Amino acid sequence: MQEDTHDGAARQTGASSPDGISVHTGFPNPATDASLRSLDLNRLLIAHSASTYFFRVRGNEWEAAGVFDGDIAIVDRALDAHKTDIVIWWNGGGESFSISARHKVPAGATVWGVITSTIHEHRKLRRDDK
Amino acid sequence: MTDKVYVLVDCNNFFVSCERLFRPDLENKPVVVLSSNDGCVVARSNEAKQLGIPMGAPAFKHRQTFRDHHITQFSGSFELYGDISKRITALLATITPRIEIYSVDESFLDISALPITDYEAWGRMVKAAVQRDIGVPVSLGIAPTKTLAKMASEIAKQHDEYGGAFSFIGLDPAKRDAVLHTMPVQEVWGIGWRLAPKVRAEGVATALNLANMRPQRAQQLMGIHGRQLVSELNGVNCYTLTSERTAAKSIMRSRTFGEDTSQAHVLEAAIASMAARAAFALRNEKLLARRIGFFTTTNRHKPGYRRWAREVQLATPTNDSGEIMRILTDELTDVYNDKQMYHRLGVFLHDFVPEDAVQTDLLGTVDTAQHDRAKARMRALDSVNNRWGKHKLYYAAEDLSQAWQPRRHIGSPRYVSNWNELPEAHIVQ
Repeated sequence: MQEDTHDGAARQTGASSPDGISVHTGFPNPATDASLRSLDLNRLLIAHSASTYFFRVRGNEWEAAGVFDGDIAIVDRALDAHKTDIVIWWNGGGESFSISARHKVPAGATVWGVITSTIHEHRKLRRDDK
Repeated sequence: MTDKVYVLVDCNNFFVSCERLFRPDLENKPVVVLSSNDGCVVARSNEAKQLGIPMGAPAFKHRQTFRDHHITQFSGSFELYGDISKRITALLATITPRIEIYSVDESFLDISALPITDYEAWGRMVKAAVQRDIGVPVSLGIAPTKTLAKMASEIAKQHDEYGGAFSFIGLDPAKRDAVLHTMPVQEVWGIGWRLAPKVRAEGVATALNLANMRPQRAQQLMGIHGRQLVSELNGVNCYTLTSERTAAKSIMRSRTFGEDTSQAHVLEAAIASMAARAAFALRNEKLLARRIGFFTTTNRHKPGYRRWAREVQLATPTNDSGEIMRILTDELTDVYNDKQMYHRLGVFLHDFVPEDAVQTDLLGTVDTAQHDRAKARMRALDSVNNRWGKHKLYYAAEDLSQAWQPRRHIGSPRYVSNWNELPEAHIVQ
């Protein structure tokens, strides 16, 4: 089976000389095939890259729920907020952005975006900023 | 010929809107954005416009107004504006691939092929989508020509009753004429301050007057461009989308000094740094420059304004930072005078040839060994800078002084380009 694949691939990628003799150029790297894409966290966590922003979570009230001060929140503005969604919101006279469940957002406040994930770094791998 | 439909999507007070995205408290408050050196006003909120702050105004002349009216000032965060601009383009590209990015805050789309019946309703829908998904307000102008689309977007911006989208498509002729008549001729795209007096002398004061001008007369006055403008205003399109990126014809990098200076080493450091930046851009385009130069000026807003410039024709074209610095620093000694207070300096490169087509000088003595060495050196420099961030590696002369570095007092955090400066949000139980 493997031999067949090998042979077929070799014929496809082999360079033909002018007199029609196929030159064996080796087994093609399967990683270059677009259908065999590596796992990509961007694809897992970000549905709409144009409308996704990052925030820094402040407050330790939700540690029991696994959300810690300093976590990174992934926020998508393109989503409709369901009442159990966790959202970033802003209150007219307020000084800063707030986080709570959609149904806890006070009347008159504006929902900025829906938090789709939070990232908690257990061990920081990078100290730089990019 | 099938009828064309163009839409111009134009961001309202774009830089201000980007700042407000992360500062909703500034909604409905006066805001200005200043150029990278805090020198000039480059964007104003509507509230700041109403307070009479002109576009391009030198900030120092208006400090008192800024204070009196609690106008919030930002140094331009051009990384942020570029990021938001890219997001908008990405969203618009899902409508149609036929898109021309006209500037950081304006894009033309050719929507001729889309099955739209009510263009203004469609425009309001797009506006709502950009507001919601990206978070900045836009205005849309829809028309059979780009010139009219540009005008329509201005109308949409100025008149709230259109809800952010105005269309010339299907507008009845009397209404169309009435609209064109409200538009002063200098506001027509492509007229501007230079051509406006010429056409006004002919009794042409509004866009409608221009639309009714005889095409021959328009051509006599303004060349072929004038005839095309008249056609475009009448809905016959002459300009199509130009998405091809044209290669740069010249590259200039300039800066205003943090403080006016008479010190030679500050000028030398500025030459070195600007030369490094300009040459980097040139290498990215895989080009060599045959002419290089610099200019320096005193403060335009102080008496005795003066400007000096020197330009050098090179025997062998180059994109070597070190060589450009060396040549221009030599030239600087020629104009430098320790009695002058210098305010601004720029380095320019032009007359380009492709990197792989080096022509020899008149004597045919291009030193190819030297050329190859320079090229290898530059490649090494760029690969370090590309990999580790700009300016990790630089020529010693670039950093002789920090005095020329632009002041950036009041920039917002790098919300979208630095993990350490993300906007913060507090958990509320």
